[in-house]
Amino acid sequence: MKKHILVVDDEESIRELLSIYLVGASYSVTAVASLDAALDAVRQEPPDLIISDLQLEGADGLQTIARLRNAVPDTPVILLTGVLFDPKAVNEVLMSKVTCYLPKTCSLAQIMDTVRRLTQAPRA
Amino acid sequence: MLFFLFIAAVLVAVAVQAVRNISHSVADSDWVNHTHAVILETEAVRSALLAADGLLHTYVLTGDARDLGACREALSEASENMDIAKALTRFEPDQNRQLVEIESMANRRADFVQGVLAARKSGTMASVREMMAADAGGTAIRDIQRKIDKLKNDELALLTARDTAAYRQAQATSWTVWTGVALDVLLLAGAAWLVRDDLAARRRAASALQEANAQLEARVQERTADLGSANARLSTENLERRWANHALEHQLRYNHLIIDSISDLVLVLTAALNISRVNPAVVRLTGLEPAELVNQPLSRVARLAAGPDGADAPLRDPIAQSLKDGRELQRQAAVVEDKRGRQTRALLSLVPLRDQDRVVGCVVTLQILTPQSSTAPAEKNP
Repeated sequence: MKKHILVVDDEESIRELLSIYLVGASYSVTAVASLDAALDAVRQEPPDLIISDLQLEGADGLQTIARLRNAVPDTPVILLTGVLFDPKAVNEVLMSKVTCYLPKTCSLAQIMDTVRRLTQAPRA
Repeated sequence: MLFFLFIAAVLVAVAVQAVRNISHSVADSDWVNHTHAVILETEAVRSALLAADGLLHTYVLTGDARDLGACREALSEASENMDIAKALTRFEPDQNRQLVEIESMANRRADFVQGVLAARKSGTMASVREMMAADAGGTAIRDIQRKIDKLKNDELALLTARDTAAYRQAQATSWTVWTGVALDVLLLAGAAWLVRDDLAARRRAASALQEANAQLEARVQERTADLGSANARLSTENLERRWANHALEHQLRYNHLIIDSISDLVLVLTAALNISRVNPAVVRLTGLEPAELVNQPLSRVARLAAGPDGADAPLRDPIAQSLKDGRELQRQAAVVEDKRGRQTRALLSLVPLRDQDRVVGCVVTLQILTPQSSTAPAEKNP
């Protein structure tokens, strides 16, 4: 059974690249651009992992993540954003809202390592 | 192929030799039959003459006509048998000569018998007794029998020689056939061995070919797997490059967005203190386009504010000194002049740009002072 990953990002090229990469690694991927589409996707097929950008069109990424976690509270969430945070701020602020934070400047291999770790780990 | 042609040639030679020997055997058999026929006919002549002689004596004693007829019939048989024997030996001069001699003697004997018969038939018994007395010893018949015996012995000697020849011919035929069969068996055994050896060689070649094909197939599969791995690796690397490029573009765009969103005037200067880049706030305040500002000195748009005596202080030297020392300038009172010469008060800050510990330029920010601004200029840097 393939693990299902929900990718939320308003940039089409990001969604496309992540989908190609994750599907190539035998994951099932649903890629959406908005909060509403993400909520629909969660209702249709609860994901094993959510990868979300911080800045979405018409919504704040952290708010989006909060809405999604209300729907699937046990699903781990990766915050993948081009907005660089101070490491201290990440630990103090973001980690209470997401499972993991990754900058978009990291490599796909690093993203894959995190995805594997989170999809293989038992749910909280 | 040549080997089998040789085997076929041996078989043909054996067959030809066997046929020739059989033909010779048949000819020999004909000669044996012929010899027996000559002997039989000669013996028949002897029997007929002896019978005629006996019947002559009987007729002389009885005068019975039946004995006379029988005697003449016996003489006729003897003549017929002699003709047959002569015909049989017509291609054998020696035997034929002997038969002619026997025939001559038999004819004389027949003439004698005919004479006695004629005398007896005419009733002149004295003449008959005289003739019979002359033949009292039977010399003529014994001579004829000796001649016939000699001829018979000659024929039997010939028969023996021909039997010997036929036996040798049969032996030769047997040897020829068996030798040919043995030779062909040997040749066929050799051919079988060669065929077996050839089949083994073909099997070895087929096995080697199969092994080579298997190795080739394995190499192809290995190479295909390598290519597949390389292709997957290249695809991953390509995705990584696209991802990295996109991340850098995004980061750059985001940084530009941040800089362009700053309301303060931001100018990037080269080490020669010429403008290399400005943010939109500079364009908005001065009314100058970036193309009009690039490669222009900073004094084209800003200078330090006037000193205590009211004169404008030159900007070049403090900034040049700051760059030379690699230190920052903080919140220095300055004047910004737009395209039409209108002046605006501002606070100037400068931060040197370092690339591997080498100052390659600086960033100048100009915070515009409004009449309500409570921000005071900083103390002069030491």
